[in-house]
Amino acid sequence: MNNLIKFCFALFALCVSTAASAQVNIEINTPGVVALKQSMQQRHTELAAFYASGAVGITSDGMVALRDANAVPLAARQKVNGLVAAENQDRKALYAEIARANAHPEWEGDIRSTFAQRWIQRAQAGWWVQSGGTWSRK
Amino acid sequence: MLNKIIIYTTFRLPSCRLSGLLSFCLFFLPVPLYAVQITLNVADVTASSFTARGIKVVLAQKGSAEFSIDKLHMADNTWHKVHVHCAEFILSSDRVTCHKGKLDAIPDMPFTFSYEFAAQRLDLRFSAKANELWQVSADFRAQPWRATVQLRNAQVKRLADWLPPDGPLPTQGTLIGTLVVSGDKAGVRQINADVHLAGIAAADASGLHAAEKLTGKLHVDATHTSQKWNWRGALDWQSGELFWQPLYLRGGHTLQASGQWDGAQLNVTQAVANLPEVGKVELNALWDVKKSNLLEARVVGKNLSLANAFSDYAKPFMVKDAVTAAEPKGRADVDWQYRNGATQALHVKLHDVAIVDSKKRFALHGINADIPWHAQQQSEAHMAFADGELMGLPLGATQWQIQMRGKSFILPTATLPLLDGKLEVSDFHLQSVNEVWEWDFASKLTSISMQKLSAALHWPEMHGSLSGSIPKVSYQHKLLKVDGTLLFKVFDGEVLANNLKLFDPFGLAPRLSGNLDMQGLDLDLLTRTFSFGNIQGRIDLGVHNLELVSWHPVRFDAKLGSSPGKYRKRISQKAVENISSLGGAGGGAALQRSFLRIFKSFGYDSIGLSCALRNNICTMAGTEDRGNAFTIVKGGGIPAITVMGYNRKVDWSELITRLKRVLQDNKAVIK
Repeated sequence: MNNLIKFCFALFALCVSTAASAQVNIEINTPGVVALKQSMQQRHTELAAFYASGAVGITSDGMVALRDANAVPLAARQKVNGLVAAENQDRKALYAEIARANAHPEWEGDIRSTFAQRWIQRAQAGWWVQSGGTWSRK
Repeated sequence: MLNKIIIYTTFRLPSCRLSGLLSFCLFFLPVPLYAVQITLNVADVTASSFTARGIKVVLAQKGSAEFSIDKLHMADNTWHKVHVHCAEFILSSDRVTCHKGKLDAIPDMPFTFSYEFAAQRLDLRFSAKANELWQVSADFRAQPWRATVQLRNAQVKRLADWLPPDGPLPTQGTLIGTLVVSGDKAGVRQINADVHLAGIAAADASGLHAAEKLTGKLHVDATHTSQKWNWRGALDWQSGELFWQPLYLRGGHTLQASGQWDGAQLNVTQAVANLPEVGKVELNALWDVKKSNLLEARVVGKNLSLANAFSDYAKPFMVKDAVTAAEPKGRADVDWQYRNGATQALHVKLHDVAIVDSKKRFALHGINADIPWHAQQQSEAHMAFADGELMGLPLGATQWQIQMRGKSFILPTATLPLLDGKLEVSDFHLQSVNEVWEWDFASKLTSISMQKLSAALHWPEMHGSLSGSIPKVSYQHKLLKVDGTLLFKVFDGEVLANNLKLFDPFGLAPRLSGNLDMQGLDLDLLTRTFSFGNIQGRIDLGVHNLELVSWHPVRFDAKLGSSPGKYRKRISQKAVENISSLGGAGGGAALQRSFLRIFKSFGYDSIGLSCALRNNICTMAGTEDRGNAFTIVKGGGIPAITVMGYNRKVDWSELITRLKRVLQDNKAVIK
């Protein structure tokens, strides 16, 4: 629950700060954005443990990746794969939806880049983040 | 007195016989061995798949010996600075022995070595704690020569240095068993292995290929004839887990297989695998080991349990979509043929199969099918199901004939019984273009009772019937598109939908756009259905520039107005109250409260209301606009009533909340 609250705060802070910096209304709350955020928030309760263990890291392109499957019990590796794939699907859809809701679908790449920086900045201590192709622990 | 003799030499050996080398050197020694320290330097020793460079042997006075090799290459592995210590080294004319030997690389495993020159018998024993033993006994004089490897609690992690570093490397577990190798001067001719694996764990660096607690038995017999190995093996995997991206499997599998191996390709000519809770499959395969490439394969299984076969062996390879959300049950026969990097044929027979979507979007029961698909040839699939469900609507029994050619599937006609009517689908065409699936079809819906439809969908009870035609529906690159105009008949009027587009229909945020035009809807049927308060008359409703995201409206231009023509126009007191309450606190200002108490219904001339939705704000207008006020119901006849609206901009969410309140509670009170 605590992680969920942190995640919500991070997402909110991310939207506010990014909106200010890129002059894009990333706070925009279309039903699509709401649905995607809800889906990501629900998944975050499952992903948080894998971020903490280092099994999953935050990539420099605004996605997440399975960086060390050995940190996950064998029986859970399929599940982590599924969570990472679903999370990336939602993230990609979120960037596209925010760009579309701003009436500028061509901004998707910029929005994704901005989100990528902020996700990494706001990652909790101990999480693994990617920079320049290499992983480091915050 | 200590005599020190140093000999430098280089040898090229046809086979690796270090004992012969030492004998050769010592034959010329002029002094007794116990009295001297001999240092022997050998530049290199080479043999097939064996190279040792910078060999140094020091035979000390007390009977010990030190062997060091700068670089040792054996079986595709290289070691540097290899050092062997023999506490008791004895070299005589008939044998060489090393007792209490120790290899620097494995200091916890002392060894004993002996080799008899005349009998050509070799014995090498490595032993360690926990009763661990690796023993090699070889008789090179026998014809054929024979070597036996005995393993007892042998820790598999010791094999890690011998295995390719980029593959899974063993970290835990033991081996118990025997490996017998025999051959002639040309090399190894026969291998027999009988090994019990206990608690084996292995993983590659990424963790995407790993095993834990593997326990089982492995038996292999292999014979070398005519440049090939003929082999036969049996694996009984009793317990443990295996993750081989993306598969996750548990013990309970058995495999009996036989085939050939020519040094480049592994040919599995015949194999039977028993898959737990699935069934037995027969398979053959040709694998290019050097290129790590499957060249050919065929898998045949009969009467397989679909539930586990799909979840364990098929679903992990699929991209998460509507298909992977389906849960099949029942039995199936499968014949899969693979060649040249692609599936060449797949013949599937389904026996009383049920497919249920975990999200309850669709379900089919009692499926029997014969699907003889071929990559190059044309064929026809037969499929039938007993009943089903689509978005909550019950489907009746159906039979289909599907024409197949490669990645093109055509269903010329299909009838899908739907409630008391039917959906007739024509020219359904599914095909893969550049590895992207797309499909299209036309269809016609014959009359369905609205009463049954609304009950099935858990809607308020509606009357009338629903019918229509769909000229062409296509799906391409996540976009579902309706070409032409979609026509439905409902509430005794017509609904025309055009430019309908649904993007990402199976995603989290599907986006629908299009225009709707409803003409001549019977208000009596409509208001009765939704318990809005009775209104008699007919209306036209246009919803243009409609855009729904996640099935929530984000934009539209809607306009509702009385239909042209002559018909009875009455509005009940309750309907007036409800329209007023939709307008919020100021909405009913024009109403005469005392007047309402006398009459139960009123005449009207026209009804009109429009809403332009932008940014969650609905900007309203009526039949007539007077400044900020607008007329929603214009009075006419006796007694007449006029309903005015004064609030042009309404929050859409608030409006929906009010509408829900009205529909739930018809006792709306006008204050």
